[in-house]
Amino acid sequence: MKKIILTLAAVSVSFATASLLEEAAKLDVKKVCDVKANGLEKVIATAEKFNPEAIKLGVEFKRLGVKNREYIKYTKEAIKAKKKETVIKYKSKGKEKTKKFATDYAAWRACTFAIRGLQQKVEAEKTWRLAVPGDGFKY
Amino acid sequence: MKKKIIASLLVGSIAALSASEFSAQADKDRKAMQEYFEKKFADRKTASTYFPYTPKEELDKNFKWGIKGDEFRLGSYAFNKSGREQYEEIVEMPPYEDAIDEGKEIYENSKAIKKCFPDPAIAGEYPKFIKDKGVVTLTGAINNCLKSNGEKTWNSKKGKMAKLEAYFAAASKEKGKKIHIVIDSKEAQEAYNRGKKEYYSQRGYLKLSCASCHVQGAGQRVRNEYMSPLFGQVTHFPVYRLKWEGLGTLERRLEGCNKDQGENPHKPESKWMNELAYFMAYMSNGMPVDGPDVRK
Repeated sequence: MKKIILTLAAVSVSFATASLLEEAAKLDVKKVCDVKANGLEKVIATAEKFNPEAIKLGVEFKRLGVKNREYIKYTKEAIKAKKKETVIKYKSKGKEKTKKFATDYAAWRACTFAIRGLQQKVEAEKTWRLAVPGDGFKY
Repeated sequence: MKKKIIASLLVGSIAALSASEFSAQADKDRKAMQEYFEKKFADRKTASTYFPYTPKEELDKNFKWGIKGDEFRLGSYAFNKSGREQYEEIVEMPPYEDAIDEGKEIYENSKAIKKCFPDPAIAGEYPKFIKDKGVVTLTGAINNCLKSNGEKTWNSKKGKMAKLEAYFAAASKEKGKKIHIVIDSKEAQEAYNRGKKEYYSQRGYLKLSCASCHVQGAGQRVRNEYMSPLFGQVTHFPVYRLKWEGLGTLERRLEGCNKDQGENPHKPESKWMNELAYFMAYMSNGMPVDGPDVRK
């Protein structure tokens, strides 16, 4: 019985992963992450929807020391407080640091980063062999 | 008696056959990799095919051509003349020498480590695929050893770990040991394949794969540094990097590379990193262990 439950759980998790990946692969990042067209709340909600999947698959983006989960967390706080500037606190080499971004820019970045991580994962399935000498890479 | 000998010979040869079956594709990959790099760095006349963006004068003056096999263990110093001159000046008084001595001291003073690694000349034998554990790097094996003896594990990237690995590498080099990575089961083959796929997959906000820089990009310049070829890359670890002002393990370097791709880096000793290292090490199979060494 335990085995059946565990197998069912594993199958449903892999279905969830597959469906989120498929959904992300179909998205037009420029459209869904456009702050002007969709509003800050919707854009950060999109980031929040896809980034956990990127974390789970080991493809979360990080730029200049800031992980995408940190972009999302602090942008959400700024939106809630109606602040035009997002202050991101992060750790680098054991030291506390901060970076400041315009909130709409931070939301756009968080959203594109979350989706592109997953899209690249899907794209790589088709492209990785093109770079292998002796396989798809011709020179 | 005769029957027994024949039977055991048969069993032995079947086992050897199936083991080579598991590594057959990896051997093909390694051979194709070597051929690619030897062609890429063969001749100035064909250089513009491989280095379309490198100024002609640079290809004329700063590149050494006709590089073969084991020479690639020197990384970019195999072809970069000015870099090689600086490297040779540095290794006249190698900055890692004290670390080897300290590593030896750590080894001599640790009963646990001595018990787990009675022969220190084993740097070329890792990563290994171990049933029920998966791929284990030398770093992982050292930490597993400490754990199983009730001791605290070490930082996987530097410090004691890098020093002990420097001693192991130096002992291996002294004995003329070579990189000897084994793929002898279906599970090991699958781990190799996963590592290979990750190596060639584009990732991070820069959308770079490891191969973008160290296969297709090897020999090209990023700012003032030439990128090193995958072929031979693991032979010289741990390395003393001038940027780090100290010694670091392969895991430390891989984490840095992964971060440079624009990704939240995978942790040292994680399954992902171990399998990546397994693939990379197999690509250097048969080359001499050449660590520790210096890099910028």
